[in-house]
Amino acid sequence: MTDLETITISLDGRPHSVPTASTLSALVSSLDHHPDKVSTAVNGLFVPRAKRDVCVLAVGDAVLFFQPIVGG
Amino acid sequence: MTNAAPYPATDDTAATDDTWQVGDVVLHSRFLLGTAGYPSPQVLREAIVAAGTQVVTVGLKRTLAASGDNGFIAAISQALAATGARLLPNTAGCRSAREAVQLAHMARELYDTPWIKLEVVGDEHTLQPDMFELHTAAAQLVRDGFTVFPYCTDDLVACRRLLDVGCPLLMPWGAPIGSGQGLLNVFALRTLRERLPDTTLIIDAGIGAPSHAAQALELGFDAVLLNSAVAQAREPAAMARAFRLAIESGRIARTAGVMAAQDFAVASTPVGGEPLLLGGAP
Repeated sequence: MTDLETITISLDGRPHSVPTASTLSALVSSLDHHPDKVSTAVNGLFVPRAKRDVCVLAVGDAVLFFQPIVGG
Repeated sequence: MTNAAPYPATDDTAATDDTWQVGDVVLHSRFLLGTAGYPSPQVLREAIVAAGTQVVTVGLKRTLAASGDNGFIAAISQALAATGARLLPNTAGCRSAREAVQLAHMARELYDTPWIKLEVVGDEHTLQPDMFELHTAAAQLVRDGFTVFPYCTDDLVACRRLLDVGCPLLMPWGAPIGSGQGLLNVFALRTLRERLPDTTLIIDAGIGAPSHAAQALELGFDAVLLNSAVAQAREPAAMARAFRLAIESGRIARTAGVMAAQDFAVASTPVGGEPLLLGGAP
């Protein structure tokens, strides 16, 4: 794969390469996350599960994944 | 006169059919329990059961920012299955309304509940809530269909503003989070209770000992939310039970009517106006 076919995004604060025109849904799958077990945000905005398929990632997008944890 | 107690023994049962509500949800337990900082999932599960709680708090973490949960989430799920308790996700770690609103939406998706414990911290040292950002976030989340449990200060006017935007209850701090100092500003808390007589009030944060929780209920607060005091106990399940009993005790005392404090002595034994042993003929 050449550089022209990939872009670099920020995933949980770290650089991460994804194929050009990747969707958020594809990214979730590529990382072996169960779609229902993570919640997602791009550039600080929540992206619901139902909209991950139409959320196309762009260069420099900051993607965050969240999952359940204990809390007070 | 009868020796029959007005309430059954509080050992392992709810003291009365006394209930409170959040929206349409009727709750018996007045003890909301946090799930962080326990030494093991097993201990957490035992503490949830011992507390008799019907509401446990949880959070969200960034997936790559921390290691796995080591079975704690599974322990919570097991405890909830056994007790029927509900989840109350929080927005811990948020410093702005914008952040908190986004995290609340993620929590609703992950935990499948509209309940959100809204935390927006404004000071790193005290973890004091930022009432301005909190108000902004609460207003938005209410519009978005959330049931907002705002973690707030004891400022009466700011609390009123939270109610004005649709928060169904308030969760003022007793003391800074995790400090275990108890109710530091009893005057402000009592004022909140007196000025907002119909509002559900929950003391959240700062409770260190069962006596603090009992005091909160005696003051007329509807419930308490605590975490560290149980999680950091040498025996968390035993401490959870101690809090459960103290909370029940405080609630019964509130209902029974705590006597007013006075600055002077009032003899409790009705001896009349004369000393019994001195003076006068036998």
